Amino acid sequence: MQLLQKFKRGNSKKSPSKGHANYAYTTARVRAMKSKILPKETYPRLMNMSIDEITRFIGESEYKEDIDELARNYEGVDLIEHALNRNLAVTFTKLLSISEGDVNFLVGEQLQKYDIWNIKTILRGKYCNASTDEILDAIVAAGRLNYTFLSELAAKNTYEEVISELANTEYHSILKNYDGTNLSDIENQLDKIYYVGLFGAIGESKSKDRKLFAEFTRMGIDLKNLMTLFRLKKSGITDPEMMNLMIDGGLKLKLKDIQRLLSLSFADFVSELEKNYYWDVISDVVSPDMVSLIDVENRLKKHRLKSAASFSHVYPISIVPIMDYMLSKKNEINNLRIVIRGKAANLDDDIIKEQLVI
Amino acid sequence: MVTETITAMDPSGLKAIGAGLAVGLTGIASALAEKDIGSAAIGAMAENESLFGKGLILTVIPETIVIFGLVVALLIK
Repeated sequence: MQLLQKFKRGNSKKSPSKGHANYAYTTARVRAMKSKILPKETYPRLMNMSIDEITRFIGESEYKEDIDELARNYEGVDLIEHALNRNLAVTFTKLLSISEGDVNFLVGEQLQKYDIWNIKTILRGKYCNASTDEILDAIVAAGRLNYTFLSELAAKNTYEEVISELANTEYHSILKNYDGTNLSDIENQLDKIYYVGLFGAIGESKSKDRKLFAEFTRMGIDLKNLMTLFRLKKSGITDPEMMNLMIDGGLKLKLKDIQRLLSLSFADFVSELEKNYYWDVISDVVSPDMVSLIDVENRLKKHRLKSAASFSHVYPISIVPIMDYMLSKKNEINNLRIVIRGKAANLDDDIIKEQLVI
Repeated sequence: MVTETITAMDPSGLKAIGAGLAVGLTGIASALAEKDIGSAAIGAMAENESLFGKGLILTVIPETIVIFGLVVALLIK
């Protein structure tokens, strides 16, 4: 099947080959890595532990190295938080280093999210005059920009210097418009360029795994847009200006649908959603008089995880299982963070459980 | 007078070519199949060493193809 796809790809000029791709090796390795992700039965157990017990539990699992490394500098919740960030960065850069050719290229494009995240963090840090250490604490060097380069950026005195350092990157065309005040606008544009890059990378390839990857990405956009819409509607915003928060390229929720939904009130928005493709996913937690959006957001996130897992079974030797792993890993880290932050803030177990996506 | 030369091919030569093709082509087929399985097995083993046994068995399963080829080659002979 792969040979066939290689021939097909070979004929298409729009997606040039990036050299030999080791799909079999990478996907098998990633699947073995996925088997080490904490099962969902772990979370109720974690809920019964104190912060120190959780640190120990995590220190005996996949996060051992990170906990050992950071235990000198941090303790308690901060230790776990930094260990989680470090592990995420190490895991994702590992994906980049074990993959070759086409796989490496696609994983790198996907990980640009973290490059953008880091650039945003540094700019935000400079905006509110945070110290270099404070900025470095929040950095997750999981993309193509490595930690050394990012820490050099964080050590710069002004945002102008940061931006001039990034002159050779694709983000410069957007960053050069930053004047010290329009941070949120620049951030939105950076987020959008990520998707533009991703669609560019997928190209108009005819191969089925790329199509599936495109579908998967577009579904992610749908869910993101839907969450933004829910938040906007809940706070009663109908300003058409808000369209610039939406990301183009959705699968079942096109921009013109969003434009129509944006002008409605929350109750009308909910009744209009009933015709939507995603209604089945959220139908039993959405009502016109709902108070919290946590349930909806959790459902949507869970739906994405589930569909990623099922997509990855359709094409076992393609980029999709790797994306599935990246999502699951990110989700695991988010869940652990929710548990420890919740515990540290003395939240009720029920409230913490509500937030978990398992 | 017209003379006609008839060149007859030795049937054992054809047999040998057939046997060679049977082993050679099935060998290539096994190699193609084992290439991906082998690299996948190495990948999985890099993460979890206990998969060595399973990986080894899965890697040699396509070996049956070339064994069939060999059997056919022996039968032809």
